[in-house]
Amino acid sequence: MLKMSGICCYYGKGQVLHGTTLEVREGELVGLVGRNGVGKTTTLKAVMGMIPARAGSIAFRGEELAGVPAYRVPRRGISYVPQGRHLFPKLTVKENLEIACVAGEIDPAKLEEIYGYFPRVKERLGQKAGTLSGGEQQMVAIGRALIAKPDLVLLDEPTEGLMPLLVQAIAETVQAINRRGTSILLVEQNLKTLKEICHRIYIMEKGAVVYEGTPSEIEAAMDVQERYLSVKV
Amino acid sequence: MASNLAVAVLNGIVWGLIMALIALGLNLIFGLLHIINMAHGALYMLGAVFSWYVIELTGNYWLALCVAPLAVGLIGLALERGLLRTIEDKPLVTIICTFGIMLVLQQLALTYFGGTARRIALPIPGRFPLFDLQYPVMRIVIAAISAAVMVALWLFLNRTRYGLWMRAVVQDREMAVALGIPVHKVYMWTFVLGSVLAAFSGVLAAPIVSVDFMMGREILIMAFIIVIVGGMGNLWGSVITAVVISLIHGVGSIFVVPSTATVFSLGFMILVLLVRPQGLFGE
Repeated sequence: MLKMSGICCYYGKGQVLHGTTLEVREGELVGLVGRNGVGKTTTLKAVMGMIPARAGSIAFRGEELAGVPAYRVPRRGISYVPQGRHLFPKLTVKENLEIACVAGEIDPAKLEEIYGYFPRVKERLGQKAGTLSGGEQQMVAIGRALIAKPDLVLLDEPTEGLMPLLVQAIAETVQAINRRGTSILLVEQNLKTLKEICHRIYIMEKGAVVYEGTPSEIEAAMDVQERYLSVKV
Repeated sequence: MASNLAVAVLNGIVWGLIMALIALGLNLIFGLLHIINMAHGALYMLGAVFSWYVIELTGNYWLALCVAPLAVGLIGLALERGLLRTIEDKPLVTIICTFGIMLVLQQLALTYFGGTARRIALPIPGRFPLFDLQYPVMRIVIAAISAAVMVALWLFLNRTRYGLWMRAVVQDREMAVALGIPVHKVYMWTFVLGSVLAAFSGVLAAPIVSVDFMMGREILIMAFIIVIVGGMGNLWGSVITAVVISLIHGVGSIFVVPSTATVFSLGFMILVLLVRPQGLFGE
């Protein structure tokens, strides 16, 4: 479904991605993990066209995405939930959802599906997004990504800064969304969460993917965990 | 005295509503594009000048009110696409660029329209009694039209998809792009809308003031004062501030000559900024 190969990205003169290569297959929930600043967020932004790739290719359903203007990428069927939520604080929750339906009206069935995942979103519809708690904002941000009926969702640290109980709930919801057919590329700092819900996991180091495996393979490869994630097992 | 005061208050409101339209356009462009548009006053002037030509040709003020803002809107479109788009992320460069545009438009008006001020006859000549004075009906019509345009603008921003996009782009441009909003188009139409508002105010003001090639300069300064006092980026703060400052100026004109009454408006601005540097309604 999504195939990135040899992607190189720069912030000014500094190179952030050094030939990143990864793949998300139809219906998969794929994790992307790594220490701070290894280029996980940049990888997602490169897919969205928010940072231009100077080399390599990004193919989505066989069509090249590199070079497509950023605002056209969502129309191809990819949604993005950025780190830190980035809701529009002065718009209501309803407007935050509406705005993601760039090409048409909200599909009531999809809206009901979102309410199913997050009943809280329905209660807060008329409220300004800036007044919500962190957890509620995350729910709206995921809802906003789903409302456009994407085939692939890029999720950047959706559990960051949330209390443990919510972390678990969000992780389970991400899994539930995936089970209903949406492919997901999930960036996380927390390997434990990824191992519980992902089909495959990529580990990034210095702007490139250095390891790929299923949760059980990673579990077995202790040296990999120690070398790239400094996780004490 | 009562009749003088009534006239001063009415004049303040009428002029305040015209100023509000000008300031709204300026503030809209600043809020979205982060461009301090020095050419805004010149676009206001062009609206008035174009309307004078249309009235000369057809004798129809109402036609001029429709045609002149559209013509200026086209100029705005050309300016945004041709000049500003390439430099829109550089605030200092855009100030210099729009300042240059202002000089060019003023000189063009001087060359073709001429240096003498011209008057436009009141399209509705009637007057109504106000205490022991007579007040022109047209001024009330002008105020009503300004208010109607503001209501329309509010509805546009709050009830349409494009309005929603504009409000979103102001808050988080990068996320707006990531959601599929064509931000460069939103920028373009915002600049056009701002230009149309400036020109529309110019046509509305034309029967009250005289039309001349320098009429945009003082207006630009007043519009900046209104936007700053009202709070940069706060549209409705601009509207309230425009009316308040014009009322201060209007009522002040009873006691001193109008040009001196500007001191009161400026004094008000200084006071507000001393107490609230972010403006009355700024955050």
